[in-house]
Amino acid sequence: MVTSAVVNTYPLSSYTFGTKEPKMEKDTSVADRLARMKVNYMKEGMRTSVEGILLVQEHNHPHILLLQIGNTFCKLPGGRLKPGENGILLYFFDSYGTMFCISNHVALFNSAEIEGLKRKLSSKLAANSTGLQPDWQIGECVAIWWRPNFETIMYPYCPPHITKPKECKKLFLVHLSEREYFAVPKNLKLLAVPLFELYDNRYGPVISTIPQQLSRFQFNMIHS
Amino acid sequence: MEIMNGRLNNGGNLNLVFDIYPLSNYYFSSKPGVSSKEETLGDRARRLKSNYDVHGMRTYVEAVILVELFKHPHLLLLQAKNCIYKLPGGRLRPGESDVDGLKRKLSTKLSADETQCQWEVVGECIGTWWKSDFETLPFPYLPSSGNNPKECTKLYLVKLPSSRDFVVPKNLKLLAVPMCQLHESRKTYGPIISGIPQLLSRFAINMVGS
Repeated sequence: MVTSAVVNTYPLSSYTFGTKEPKMEKDTSVADRLARMKVNYMKEGMRTSVEGILLVQEHNHPHILLLQIGNTFCKLPGGRLKPGENGILLYFFDSYGTMFCISNHVALFNSAEIEGLKRKLSSKLAANSTGLQPDWQIGECVAIWWRPNFETIMYPYCPPHITKPKECKKLFLVHLSEREYFAVPKNLKLLAVPLFELYDNRYGPVISTIPQQLSRFQFNMIHS
Repeated sequence: MEIMNGRLNNGGNLNLVFDIYPLSNYYFSSKPGVSSKEETLGDRARRLKSNYDVHGMRTYVEAVILVELFKHPHLLLLQAKNCIYKLPGGRLRPGESDVDGLKRKLSTKLSADETQCQWEVVGECIGTWWKSDFETLPFPYLPSSGNNPKECTKLYLVKLPSSRDFVVPKNLKLLAVPMCQLHESRKTYGPIISGIPQLLSRFAINMVGS
């Protein structure tokens, strides 16, 4: 994992985009999606999802890469981790051998989640041939959202009195290198949306607050 | 959910955990207030502009300080007059570092005198807001038009010890506002304060029991 307060962003033109076979959504409606989430919860417990924030620059302003489904719905590349890919530490030992536990333990992510995110990014954005896989550099976690019930609402904290959240979603910064080849599934469109358009707009609470969560980083706008 | 006992090998993760203590651990008293001189909006705009011409962009540093109440993190806010809510902090002097300025302002706003209290600023800045002009709203990114911003506000996380005396100027009220209320009340608190729960979401806030 890369911890750095400086993010290099390259122009959109520095990247090449191709297509690959469609990746259809598993659910056709919000109700279906929540119902399937409930079934999975009964089998596997809390869902952990990981999503990547990939940045490019245009006109000296950072842009985020979003996948558009259909005409309106946009999401970040990422997805659900498999059970076991989210080894959650509830207790750990500091260097003095003292054990302590933290209530919001899921904030301590580990390499299994990082590997899971790389898997998801490749699934959504990389070409199928092994020779063209990007070397994903996963950066810091910038946000964690919690779903208390089988509903669409998520919060940036686990609400009080909720002991069994249904989903935990973590957003990670991804440091792109200067040149990459992305293969986008045929049924999706890849958009580069400027931060000023995301802020406070129609992309939903998780995506709309990304500009604030990125505001602590220094963007190094590199021109070709 | 998997429960694993293990050794934490990525030392960097420890910066993301911080302890907060119950509100009842802290003591509050007041000191004489310093009321700012009344000036018209026009005068203020002129004063800020001439300041900008001499010193450049105004930088404010503000502290995000949390306590626990009803098993939920609460943010400390100062209320001036009836509906102006501010984070503890203030403007940096020219040449002053962020952390020095923040400690200076916290001592002025929250303790008996400037030398008495130690303030622990955690890590790097957690969020930055810029104003392209003095009267405009703040935004969490630099103005894309290439104009130099006139004002910048930087937020820092400040860790409290398990107990402390707070001494607040009489003209200000110190409040502890629950995170869930901040998240829902953008009109009351403005974009910077109501956005704090989202900025803090990546941290593990450990509520040390009362």
